[in-house]
Amino acid sequence: MAAAGQGGRSGGGGGSSGAGGGSSCGTGSGRSGLLDKWKIDDKPVKIDKWDGSAVKNSLDDSAKKVLLEKYKYVENFGLIDGRLTICTISCFFAIVALIWDYMHPFPESKPVLALCVISYFVMMGILTIYTSYKEKSIFLVAHRKDPTGMDPDDIWQLSSSLKRFDDKYTLKLTFISGRTKQQREAEFTRSIAKFFDHSGTLVMDAYEPEISRLHDSLATERKIK
Amino acid sequence: MVRAGVVGTHLPTSGLDIFGDLRKMNKRQLYYQVLNFAMIVSSALMIWKGLIVLTGSESPIVVVLSGSMEPAFHRGDLLFLTNFREDPIRAGEIVVFKVEGRDIPIVHRVIKVHEKDNGDIKFLTKGDNNEVDDRGLYKEGQNWLEKKDVVGRARGFLPYVGMVTIIMNDYPKFKYALLAIMGAYVLLKRES
Repeated sequence: MAAAGQGGRSGGGGGSSGAGGGSSCGTGSGRSGLLDKWKIDDKPVKIDKWDGSAVKNSLDDSAKKVLLEKYKYVENFGLIDGRLTICTISCFFAIVALIWDYMHPFPESKPVLALCVISYFVMMGILTIYTSYKEKSIFLVAHRKDPTGMDPDDIWQLSSSLKRFDDKYTLKLTFISGRTKQQREAEFTRSIAKFFDHSGTLVMDAYEPEISRLHDSLATERKIK
Repeated sequence: MVRAGVVGTHLPTSGLDIFGDLRKMNKRQLYYQVLNFAMIVSSALMIWKGLIVLTGSESPIVVVLSGSMEPAFHRGDLLFLTNFREDPIRAGEIVVFKVEGRDIPIVHRVIKVHEKDNGDIKFLTKGDNNEVDDRGLYKEGQNWLEKKDVVGRARGFLPYVGMVTIIMNDYPKFKYALLAIMGAYVLLKRES
């Protein structure tokens, strides 16, 4: 049964699912087999169609998948790592305050407490500025490595928006040329009803061409130049 | 299809899949879920510690537990305290104090104050609704309270809000269940 299942997986689907199945293929040691059942990357995405944030997340994830797997770009985690570090530092201040206050009860801990509290709220302010101005609504930064290895990488950025209780999903693709540092963008706005069927399953056959079209419109402009 | 069948036999195929969001995440996103939870806890903690620093009191918000201060305060009222060293303690003021050896603070009114030239004071308290003063509540042999016993002075209050705290203390299982549900919600739901 398991062998047939794995055979079915590497046979059907695109090359991406073959690569995913390959890691757990073969004898399938117990642990990687369990991890495989846990991750549901290859299953068609099914969400609650009335849940706006789930819809946006699944559309974003699928757009990410297309860019990373079809065009083989490499994801750059710099933006996300920045946010994670800011949050981690804030929690660190909170932990320091907690432990210090436990070891030296108030009021001896007053100066340290004051310092930690102020630092924490300063970090919160930094985080808000970071997510509003630096990260904006960008959820993917991907690099296309130059095949000749000489020029710096081209950068592709994906950002999206879906207003609350609205059905219009806007996806914006930004291309920053490594060589000229020029920036070009293209976007589309579609109703989410175009991509999901009535049961809430994302139909990649309808979604993927849109992404590819967006991508190619930016890529071809470059060639014309 | 065979593929779906193999995976599906081990997981609920319909109904509630509370780990659904988590399973679609990579390492960074999982870490962010944990961080999100930690940040909510940290924010609450920092606000509390910030209040402690601002008011100078080790417990700036307390709940009235008994009816000994009626009709001024009723059981379930929320009190806001400050504990600035420069403020003198005068008869007629409502203070929250802790008796040595007990950890539950008491909210009563100061009725007598003896003050030395250097600022040391001894004071006696009594609940408005009580027949006798608090000497029966103090430590064995103690007849007066000192400044070090004071947790803070009542500056403002909110009626009835503290009832939630009283209920949660009377039914601790309810409190843990509520906290567990809120924690699970934050950890398992993906933030947009």
